[in-house]
Amino acid sequence: MSNKPLVWKLALIAGVTLVAAAFTFPPQDRINLGLDLRGGSHILMQVDLESAVRYETDRVQTTLGQVLKADGIPHAAIVATEPGTVEVRGTDPSRRADLRERLDRVVRSWDADEIGGGNWRATMPTDYRRAVEIEAVDRTLATIRRRIDSLGVSEPVTSKAGIDGSRILIQLPGVEDPGRIKDILQDPAILEWKALTYPPSYGGDPGTWFPPASREEIVAQFGGALPDDTEIYPGDVRLADGTSGVVFWPLKRVSTVAGSDLRNAFRTSDEWGDAAVSFELTQDAGRRFEAATRENLGRRMAILLGGPTDKRVITAPVIEGVIRDQGIIRGGFDVTEAEDLALKLRSGSIPTDVHIIEERTVGPSLGRDSIRAGLTSGLAGFLGVMLFMLVYYRRAGINAVVALLLNIVLVFGALGALPFLFGASGVRATLTLPGIAGLILVIGMAVDSNVLVFERIREELSLGKTVRSAVEQGFAKAFATIFDTHVTTTVAALFLGFYGTGPVRGFAVTLIIGLIASMFTAVFVSRQLFEVVLHRHPTAETLSI
Amino acid sequence: MRLFSNTHIDFMRLARACIAASAIAVLASVAVVVVRGLNMGIEFTGGTELQVRYGDRPDVGAVRAALAAAGMTSQVVTTIGDPAEHEVYIRLGSREADARENPTERILAILRGTTDSRPDLNLADEATVAGLLAGAPGLSAEDARRVAEAILAARREQVIFRTLDDVAAIPGVPSAAIDALASGVTVGPLALRSQSYIGPAVGKELVTKAQLAVVGSMVGMLLYIWLRFQFQWGLAAVVALLHDVLVMLGLFSLFRQEMSLPVVAAFLTLVGYSVNDTVVVFDRIRELVKSQPSGDFPSVINEAINRTLSRTTITSFLTWIVVLALFLFGGEALRPFSFVLVFGIIVGTYSSIFVASPLLILWRRAPAKRAGAAVSGDAKPQAERRARKVRTSG
Repeated sequence: MSNKPLVWKLALIAGVTLVAAAFTFPPQDRINLGLDLRGGSHILMQVDLESAVRYETDRVQTTLGQVLKADGIPHAAIVATEPGTVEVRGTDPSRRADLRERLDRVVRSWDADEIGGGNWRATMPTDYRRAVEIEAVDRTLATIRRRIDSLGVSEPVTSKAGIDGSRILIQLPGVEDPGRIKDILQDPAILEWKALTYPPSYGGDPGTWFPPASREEIVAQFGGALPDDTEIYPGDVRLADGTSGVVFWPLKRVSTVAGSDLRNAFRTSDEWGDAAVSFELTQDAGRRFEAATRENLGRRMAILLGGPTDKRVITAPVIEGVIRDQGIIRGGFDVTEAEDLALKLRSGSIPTDVHIIEERTVGPSLGRDSIRAGLTSGLAGFLGVMLFMLVYYRRAGINAVVALLLNIVLVFGALGALPFLFGASGVRATLTLPGIAGLILVIGMAVDSNVLVFERIREELSLGKTVRSAVEQGFAKAFATIFDTHVTTTVAALFLGFYGTGPVRGFAVTLIIGLIASMFTAVFVSRQLFEVVLHRHPTAETLSI
Repeated sequence: MRLFSNTHIDFMRLARACIAASAIAVLASVAVVVVRGLNMGIEFTGGTELQVRYGDRPDVGAVRAALAAAGMTSQVVTTIGDPAEHEVYIRLGSREADARENPTERILAILRGTTDSRPDLNLADEATVAGLLAGAPGLSAEDARRVAEAILAARREQVIFRTLDDVAAIPGVPSAAIDALASGVTVGPLALRSQSYIGPAVGKELVTKAQLAVVGSMVGMLLYIWLRFQFQWGLAAVVALLHDVLVMLGLFSLFRQEMSLPVVAAFLTLVGYSVNDTVVVFDRIRELVKSQPSGDFPSVINEAINRTLSRTTITSFLTWIVVLALFLFGGEALRPFSFVLVFGIIVGTYSSIFVASPLLILWRRAPAKRAGAAVSGDAKPQAERRARKVRTSG
């Protein structure tokens, strides 16, 4: 037999090994440790799509109301009956064409129709709704990214997750106490301006009227029932005696300016030198704001801050002049509070509700312990297996040990190469604790293939075959079995990888890579090592196995 | 050195007894699971889980009482790991009240048992410590940052400080810093090792995903074995692995181990192993049936098992060494995972010899004469054809 193919095969093995080693070293640059090994926080947020749609509906309701009022088109009320549907009630049938024209202007792509009795209904079409939802997620993601960047966390990961992409995954390596960061990330920082609904009995000057300190009392001032367009919001006030209390503001359901209308915000100080926040509105919002402030001259307007469900009035100044697109918020802040609020407003509000639905924090001390435990157990298992193979199969055991070592190098090499294969060279493979467990299991799997082959060779030898033919047939006959066992395990691992999340997926990926590497090392590499021995001693009558 | 050379054990004589014994074991396991239930982790139920380390021996009863007093009644509180490390594991089920919000901070406040609002040096992050030190006399902002870093690095090693003396002993921490800390911080009784919060919606989703993964992989393997062998064999393999999974679930329930996603991964790995062992025996049965078409089926199976016996034993033993190392040295986080494999490999090895193969006979007793024809059916892997070629030419 010519040794030329053997040389080529050995060169191939050396080449594969070198490539794998090149992708493995330096390991700290190639392989990322997962948060469970290095410590850090993992946060999964759900973006509330329903309330994003509700916000858009609110905006349309406001705009429509202002347009109809400005153009003098009579109507009884504009009601958002459900998220995505706005009804204009009690219109004049003779102004039908005018109303249709305004509806077409404000809600161009909506389905708007007369539903009888001078009532009109405009419905948000599905693709419009989807666009609103996608934008809500995108803006939330962008906002969260800006906030994390301004916090100075190193190597953060933020990405969309979930089947419909409505979740946001945040990984913050090294963050041990996510409490403060969570507050900043979750705060929708939606700034809203709302006009007051004055109770019928307020009497006199709307600029000096102040709401009462209980919900019941304000309802009583309206004669027991609030008007349809009004809601009650709590607000903190500093009382004359220096203590603080809560009052309840009757405000219009519809906001003049909503979360997405802010262009910029800075910490500033007001004319008395107290910390305050100045803001700028977008052009469109500026126009709406101008109209609203003109309408409310001499009356109070409330500034609310918070999320869709827990807004609070932070201040309710008397409007002293028409404001277009710039203003200042005084809320009795200290400097840090004003700075934080400006940061949150500047980085953009989160346009809808977000909930943290999963949160994991691993302290770095535990991560360090896990790495130690993983390395210790891996090494112990590996040494045990190697020792057994060397004692039980003698020289052939060396063969198995080489194949095993190569297997591990290949797995690390493949992990290091994964980002290149998938074209994202900025992303690195991540080794997690279950990933280490997968690697340790691969040792067991890979050694099984060696055992299958060696046992088969022994069997063939005991039937009196020559060394060469025993090796050839041992490999040939064991191949079908090795193939079957690898495929069945890969099937299980594929399902795990597909349905598993995070660390479990890491386990499956490591296992699948290990299985592929094991096919190569136990079948091909191990065979060539036998060939080297056979080539040196072509007439050998015994084999150390 | 050889294990089991040329054995002629009549495994199939034990077929009925083994199948009966396995049936009883499976029924017993199902009964245990039904009666005791499975200890589902928060990944599936939703809830919160914390691992904390105390400086002194913790009083688990007091922790339970303190949490219950705060209305957290659906709790599990146990010590975990090496008792000398004083670690406590706390799990809270998700209840409507807690569902929307991670109660970790509330729990930590209860465990600290103090109303002192100063930061706790065992829980504070580096920025907080640096901020406190920045105001200390004799420390520049740069010093403060460096000292805070040294303190946090030491905490990573020691996990918990018992008193400020532990901090004073850290190299590079000047006494000015200790003075500043003495007035600015408390040194609480515990440190947070890890915490997880899983919302109820995520829990439901993960249950669905785990079920899909388990069912999907079983069906996938059934299909593969059907393709490579035939349907009855695939069914025998799947029955064997169902046996493994059910017996392990019984053991899991009996020992109150916690069900989590990594454990599901371990179960699927076990399924893979169990099928491996079965496939190795089946492969040999198919090969022998082809080479001795006249041999009677039970004795062919016996010979196949005997010939693969040393491989089965050695592989199982080696894999078992590996997972035992994982069980012993892999730490608490991987213990339920390695528990499944340590016991599962034993059960899986048993089932491929004593469950899957006897089933082939039971299902085949009637048409045993046609066995040869059926087995050498259409599925002929390339490797075998190649193997035959080698044999005829060599």
